[in-house]
Amino acid sequence: MLPLNGVIVFDGGMGSELEKLGFTGSPEDLNIDRPEVIQAIHRSYSCADCIMTNTFGLNAIKYKGKYTIKELALKAVENARAAGKKVFFDIGPTGAMLQPLGTLSFDEAYSAFAEVVEITKDIVDGYVAETFSDLYEIKACILAIKEHSDKPVFATMTFDSSGRTLTGSTPELVANTLEGLGVDALGVNCSAGPKELEGVVMRLLKCSSVPVMVKPNRGLPVLKDGKTQYTLDIEEFDCYIKKFIANGVAIVGGCCGTTPEFIERISKYSGRKIKRRKVERATVINSATKLVNIDGVKICGERLNPTGKKKLKEALLNGDYDYLIDEAVSQAEAGADILDLNVGLPQLDEKKVMAEACKKIQEYVDLPLQIDSSDREAVEAGVRYYNGIPLINSVNGDGEVMDAIFPIAKKYGAVVLGLTMDKNGVPKTAKERFLIAERIVKRAEEYGISRNKIMIDTLVVTASAEQKLVKETVEALRLVKKLGVKTALGVSNVSFGLPNRGLLNKTFLTMAMTCGLNMPIMNPLDGEMVGAVKAFAVLSGEDINAEKYIGIFKDYAGAASALKPAETEHIAAANLYDCIKKGIKSQAAHLCKTELEEKDAMTVVNDILIAALQEVGRLYDEGTLYLPQLVASAEAAKCAFEVVTEKLPKGAAKKQKVMLATVKGDVHDIGKNIVKVVLQSYGYEVADLGKDVPPESVAEGYIKHKPDVIGLSALMTTTVKSMEETIRILRENGCDCPVFAGGAVLNEDIAKKISADYYTKDALGFVKVLEKLK
Amino acid sequence: MQKSEQTDALIAQCLDELKGIAHFRYTYKYSETAPEFLKSAPYAEYLKGSSGLFIAVMTLGAEADAKIKLYSRTDAAKAIVFDACASAYLEYLSDEYENGLGDNLSYRFCVGYGGSDIADLRYIFDIVKPEKIGVTLTSANYMLPSKSMAGIVAVGNGAEKSCKNCVIATHCEYLKRGEKCYR
Repeated sequence: MLPLNGVIVFDGGMGSELEKLGFTGSPEDLNIDRPEVIQAIHRSYSCADCIMTNTFGLNAIKYKGKYTIKELALKAVENARAAGKKVFFDIGPTGAMLQPLGTLSFDEAYSAFAEVVEITKDIVDGYVAETFSDLYEIKACILAIKEHSDKPVFATMTFDSSGRTLTGSTPELVANTLEGLGVDALGVNCSAGPKELEGVVMRLLKCSSVPVMVKPNRGLPVLKDGKTQYTLDIEEFDCYIKKFIANGVAIVGGCCGTTPEFIERISKYSGRKIKRRKVERATVINSATKLVNIDGVKICGERLNPTGKKKLKEALLNGDYDYLIDEAVSQAEAGADILDLNVGLPQLDEKKVMAEACKKIQEYVDLPLQIDSSDREAVEAGVRYYNGIPLINSVNGDGEVMDAIFPIAKKYGAVVLGLTMDKNGVPKTAKERFLIAERIVKRAEEYGISRNKIMIDTLVVTASAEQKLVKETVEALRLVKKLGVKTALGVSNVSFGLPNRGLLNKTFLTMAMTCGLNMPIMNPLDGEMVGAVKAFAVLSGEDINAEKYIGIFKDYAGAASALKPAETEHIAAANLYDCIKKGIKSQAAHLCKTELEEKDAMTVVNDILIAALQEVGRLYDEGTLYLPQLVASAEAAKCAFEVVTEKLPKGAAKKQKVMLATVKGDVHDIGKNIVKVVLQSYGYEVADLGKDVPPESVAEGYIKHKPDVIGLSALMTTTVKSMEETIRILRENGCDCPVFAGGAVLNEDIAKKISADYYTKDALGFVKVLEKLK
Repeated sequence: MQKSEQTDALIAQCLDELKGIAHFRYTYKYSETAPEFLKSAPYAEYLKGSSGLFIAVMTLGAEADAKIKLYSRTDAAKAIVFDACASAYLEYLSDEYENGLGDNLSYRFCVGYGGSDIADLRYIFDIVKPEKIGVTLTSANYMLPSKSMAGIVAVGNGAEKSCKNCVIATHCEYLKRGEKCYR
């Protein structure tokens, strides 16, 4: 880390100075077109210690001007040198939204940043990644800088008036992530004036162990005489900067609207002693929007692990990420705080699947993940593409394993779970397990990983096989707490081979929590287990005034209440037909079972499910029902279909397999999702490739899934081209199955023009054509 | 159409959730003269007689998109309602915001209205730089977060809304019934 001897002062606004001089176009081009102007502005800031290059928008994704990135980058550094001060290369965001929210991939963003660093690594004194609003993008930027240069990296983000970045990250979460990635300073720039940023600055100071940097705007802009103007005066600006420094800020400067006079005024703080701050080092992991402090007891959901789970295994082998996502969502809804993710199957490319699964799950669930693998490359892939700071599961006392994993943990700031075992297996006694834990902590420290980044799992044995050792596991928990680390246990393992496993699991969980267990790795769908954690939080004093407990159990009326329908189920269905027609998803499975007691499966399908759907379709077509009602009915039918399928003879209800994709360039896929639900409700098997799918991937999907029919969706005129390209490539790959085209801009004519076989205006239209194609 | 209690309840629930999670942001540049791309139809017609214009971009933020995505997995019917409510809520908040921008403002004319080319979004993005409120443009000219709008607001010409400029004029349920969606 960069040793700071005193406060550093950076320069002020560049864009606003250019605007004042009447320059509007690309500020980057001015580096070559008007170097004398840029140099004069840099020189006007020579009262500062460090000057930032005029390169905010200079990356291959954002910059669309007449020069090459290299020409501009080199000239920009030369211009900044004119001030005779240290030069930091300014890197701003790409201006594009990263996946999964947008279309830009992490690797594309990384390459764009890496390009400018590679050009400038030997001629600058450091880098400032600034004005980022997306945590994932700044991670790509920081990695690009650190993997191509050994110069200091300062990273600052923008926050809005609610104290969050534009993608919803809090200051604590930003600090945890950026510090984890090893920046030399972190903080906030632009956003608003110093007054508005005070709250964010104070919060950053409380939680960041690295120096904090603040470069505010000159207050909030106001519209005056038709122009945007900054009106905050130097006195007030200075007053806030002084206050920030008094509280421990180490690097200051100005952003939009600040002028050389502002920087001149605050340059007096240069070299001042930086106030020492006391920062509590907690064990904290985070996703892009959720921070979990592993204190008290936090539940880690264990269900995303194929060991002993046939359906998950199948899903992973088929590349069916929908199943994984549903498992993730259901665990999150059931109260998990963290999700374990393990995709280890011998037939799989674990590295590739881990990265993909990580991205897909994060698209739907905001809980932090625990990357669980024994394959070093899979761990690194997961941790690299993870948006935030994850947990790694795991290392053990074996030196080779630690040497493989600790460098990854250090580089990406991950917390590591250490298992108290080594090459000789799991030691019997608590004392021996403690010694391994101690060895893990020491080795981690050699890698620069502090104890708050280590958790210890003292390993559960099965009570049926090694009854006497159960208490050693619990005793070991008590011992390792002395090392100042947090603890974890895979609690459900204790009951293997015994009846009424739930009871043993719950009792063991309570024993372990009493001895200091912080993170049970367990099934969050087990209400009794989750209940035990919530109850323990009350009895241990963690849940102050039992507020959370009361929130959960306030309507509890004994065991029977568990069977009480949830609030959303206030509408009752008389029978399955009625249930589908009304679209009551939650009652569909139960009512379907009731029907199956008296009728055979095929009758239920034809006389009830399909009949109800046809009636709903008719009402929708005649304009009596709204789209949400149609979809609710489809969802209810889908639930019933899942129940009835188990009773049907194999292949009896087999219908065509449909592959769906929203084409490249289109990120809005609600239309495609409606088609999917409706098709599934009619019993069609659907392979969903998702949105923004490149033509080549659709062709790959065709070869992999062997569908009978392909449905493509496009929302905008610009993406119809990409639909045409997709159909062309499909045909080139020997695809002869019918292609359906749909979406807001499509019609019969356009569909014909781009060689689609069918155009259907909505989901019901799709089904009608399919039924005829049978 | 029949009234659906279920859908009405869902709409109320979605609006309530939106109020809690949406982060409405609005950014603009004011200009007395229209930049080049606004000098042809249909913008020119809309701007006729105006004394100035706001070029603006507004958004509900990424949180709304995340919710729609989650509901598309857990409750597809709710996803559709949430998506529609989010669009309507953005329109409403933008109207409210513009009420505070000054007097004599005309209705908001967004890119896409009246057959205008969505590629014009590029010009607006160059001028307004809405990245600072977290709005970005894909290479296919799609704004992200998806609950975002970009357009112009004329000052002092009393331009009035008309169905002929509407993007769904050809298949509008209101028009079919001889009604309008605005006052």
